[in-house]
Amino acid sequence: MNCNEAVKLVAAYADGEIDSARGRSIEEHLRSCAACEAKHQDVLALRARIRAEVPYYPAPPALNERLRAAVARDASEPDGSERPAAPAPRSPDRSRFGWLMGGALAGCAATLLAFFLSTAVIDWRANEDIAVQAVGTHVRATLDNRLIEVASSEQHTVKPWLSARLDYSPPVRDFASDGFPLVGARLETLDKQRVATLVYRYRQHTIDVYVRPDSAHAPTAPRTLRGFNVAHATGSGMDWLAVSDVSPDVLTGFVQLLVQQSAAK
Amino acid sequence: MPQHGRFEGLVMPHLDAGYNLARWLTRNVNDAEDVVQEASLRALKYVESLRDGDARAWFLTIVRHAFYDWCKRNRPTEVVHDDGAAIDAAVDESALDPERVAVRNAESRALGEAVAALPLVFREVLILRELEELSYKEIARVVDIPVGTVMSRLARARGLLQRSPLLHAIRAHASGGER
Repeated sequence: MNCNEAVKLVAAYADGEIDSARGRSIEEHLRSCAACEAKHQDVLALRARIRAEVPYYPAPPALNERLRAAVARDASEPDGSERPAAPAPRSPDRSRFGWLMGGALAGCAATLLAFFLSTAVIDWRANEDIAVQAVGTHVRATLDNRLIEVASSEQHTVKPWLSARLDYSPPVRDFASDGFPLVGARLETLDKQRVATLVYRYRQHTIDVYVRPDSAHAPTAPRTLRGFNVAHATGSGMDWLAVSDVSPDVLTGFVQLLVQQSAAK
Repeated sequence: MPQHGRFEGLVMPHLDAGYNLARWLTRNVNDAEDVVQEASLRALKYVESLRDGDARAWFLTIVRHAFYDWCKRNRPTEVVHDDGAAIDAAVDESALDPERVAVRNAESRALGEAVAALPLVFREVLILRELEELSYKEIARVVDIPVGTVMSRLARARGLLQRSPLLHAIRAHASGGER
């Protein structure tokens, strides 16, 4: 394969869209051609940055609840159009929602207000809220390109590196067989303390796990901050706080796996 | 009513994906909610015609249609159907309210800003590819364009991002690599 052919396929190759036979000849070409390999790396680097820095916006819980309630209400009525008229719609646009907006719209302003209030409260409490701190350190580490200070998938390399720099020895384990390979670790300061930070991958996503000795930290409910999800769990005398852009379900499942494996040791 | 069960089981799991797409297309929290609500209404109506297995791409298609209908009513100047010579600007100027940009922390938001500033036709394929992780074929179906056009728009989107005036550090990051 020459450059003219390869250059058209490099992005598709990086996107996993090339069949294995052609993939092999592209790989061969990339090994011998620095210019095409640079283009390939550009796509991968841009993707890594997008997934780390560009927020994924999950549906607000209020929207989710409103839709469920509206569907349930619609299901219990033979025909939405037969219902008595809802309060006057605020704009022609709104009237199109019919069943969806009946009553629900009335709560909308209040919900929005509550949303902004709670956001403000989160910001205001920023300094004392561990989840906000954790997201902040994750974002800073990503932007500074220093997510990993010791790069290894080998727990016998990562654990001594951390133990030598901390006054505790965090449990370290690779979960590649569960789809979460360990890629390395670094140190962070969280709540004014030095904290072991394990870095895992899930598909193309990075997961930061802050591991601290459990000194009765208040449990943090799973939440979404600045587009990142935060999940928290304690067990076996340790406290795990995970931050990532993976979905809340995956992240919550992962911290539970961490706790179980630690207890099983 | 069986379609409510199907809606709950097939569409609701993809509400996050639908909202994320609407949020990036509208670039606004409230408009995104309106678009997703309208899309959900349509999805409920047509959910019986949905075959199992491709519910996410199906719902994203509906969200996208709902967005374009909304856009024609509310922001007609944004809708451009062709990505040919008409779209030469690397930055959609309407995304760059100088006051808002100044208030935001430029460093940590730069890439998100650059994505938000992409012209619509490039932004949608980029979001579907990099955030929703759809295949070229799925993107082609959602956006209703040939796979070749998916590839050329994606290449354009990536090129615009890498040269974006909002973003200077991609090369630096790439050469730094993962230590």
